[in-house]
Amino acid sequence: MKTSMLLKQCKAELLRVIRNPYYVFWSLLMPIVFYFIFTRVVNTGADNQAEWAAHYLMSMTTFSVMGSAIMTLGIRLVQERTQGWTTFMRVTPLPGPIYFFGKMFSQTVMHLLSIIFIFVAGVLINNVSLPISIWIYSALWILIGSLPFLAIGTLVGTMKRVDTASGVSNAIYMALAVIGGMWMPMEVLPKLMQNIGKWLPSYNFGNGAWEIIRGNAPHWSNVVILLGYLILFMILSTYIRKKQEVV
Amino acid sequence: MEAIIEMKHVSKMFKDKKAVNDLSFRIEKGSVTAILGPNGAGKTTALSMILGLLEPTEGEIKVFGKAPKDQSVRDKTGAMLQEVSIMDRLKVREVLDLIRSYYPNPMDMESLITLTGLQDSDLKRYAEKLSGGQKRSLGFALAMAGNPDLLFFDEPTVGLDITARRRFWDSVRKLAGQGKTIIFTTHYLQEADDTADRILLFHKGALVADGTPDEIKSRIVKRSVSFMPRQDGPGFRQRLKALPLLTDHYDRDGRIYVNTDDTDLALESIFAEKLEVRDIRIDQGRLDEAFEQLTVNQEEAV
Repeated sequence: MKTSMLLKQCKAELLRVIRNPYYVFWSLLMPIVFYFIFTRVVNTGADNQAEWAAHYLMSMTTFSVMGSAIMTLGIRLVQERTQGWTTFMRVTPLPGPIYFFGKMFSQTVMHLLSIIFIFVAGVLINNVSLPISIWIYSALWILIGSLPFLAIGTLVGTMKRVDTASGVSNAIYMALAVIGGMWMPMEVLPKLMQNIGKWLPSYNFGNGAWEIIRGNAPHWSNVVILLGYLILFMILSTYIRKKQEVV
Repeated sequence: MEAIIEMKHVSKMFKDKKAVNDLSFRIEKGSVTAILGPNGAGKTTALSMILGLLEPTEGEIKVFGKAPKDQSVRDKTGAMLQEVSIMDRLKVREVLDLIRSYYPNPMDMESLITLTGLQDSDLKRYAEKLSGGQKRSLGFALAMAGNPDLLFFDEPTVGLDITARRRFWDSVRKLAGQGKTIIFTTHYLQEADDTADRILLFHKGALVADGTPDEIKSRIVKRSVSFMPRQDGPGFRQRLKALPLLTDHYDRDGRIYVNTDDTDLALESIFAEKLEVRDIRIDQGRLDEAFEQLTVNQEEAV
């Protein structure tokens, strides 16, 4: 019975994610348009055009996945709470962990779809060619590396109002993307921003993928910093949730 | 009788405001109970505690002999709550199917669809696209999805038109006939009177009356004697004040009213004293009015 409950929950959450028109626009269309502009329209003056095409493809894929992890998850959690749905679920026998797992599952499938779509767009737009093992390696890195951002999403999800949540998550998302070097390489940013950027989860997320397409493994500091953020945000989010429950 | 719910000295504080004050009652198996009271009387707070959504500050609550949050309690409970919208981007049939999967012995899909009263074409629509009334019908079906023994309806008829209201109460009576235990909140005495076999009257977070609708009604509906003075004046008023049965009088629409439990005695007193009055009438207070007055009076007393 538990398994059928789990499957139904995952299926329902997945249907809801896929039927969301904002997902198609923000997570697929926008990164692909950006990709096209910064690799085909604007001349960025990169020395190695093929490497730049692969590098920026990773930038846009991590950008897309980071966005759905923070914004889609966060705003949906707030919506479900403000509209009373979460309350209703608590009255049903559905165990909390299954509800949570359903969310994470649908989110992961959505990330996987984004990765595949944007990778294919990279091949079609710029003929990006990488060994199959590198494609898989980078896809896995992006999938697993999205965990700290999902944790940020659950943190955004503790906010009281949808307006606040969408405003705040948008600001966090954009700041992380720009300072983390996802829109343009870190080197073009002022020195101070570069120093900050190196410590952001977005940079470490992107950098792992950038290293992979250059044939290297992600730097150990990338892994450690992402792991640190994951633990930090999980603790914060659990703490706030516990505090909110004690009413 | 088997007690399905037991509340023992339950209180709930929100910051420094006492929302529910020392509630104790038992709900028996197969009963239909109305929690009646004006807005802010603590009805929803009490319900939320029984549902395990809120922790009581003091006291103990047992549902089916267990803590409200117990999994086996959830398996046998269904609820229709206030301000619950339906999960978006799922079709009606998908939502029903999903909620059914949570319960060990769900109601079969066909019966559930009949309960919603929705057409086949509506079942294929997204739940959030339904009209307000249709959403409530779906909410009712969701409460029934697990074929529960114990049902909660929090202000179930708010925003429903007359037909939908009647339909809803018909379903509730049918469920009661099947031996289900039902608790609902309302601020309409009429609804409680029509459907419940027991009324818990709430006011300011406390239980102020508990009984069958008839008992509650006879408690709160006051009869009155009214008359017009032939010659009003301080002297006349003085005489009225001196009569124990008529001391408590008030003026309305040019008449003098006396509320009393025993209109015969009041009349006797008027005749015995040969009061200079005319056009004597006996009035039976209206139920809604009385209910309103009761809760207002208590508010003033606090």
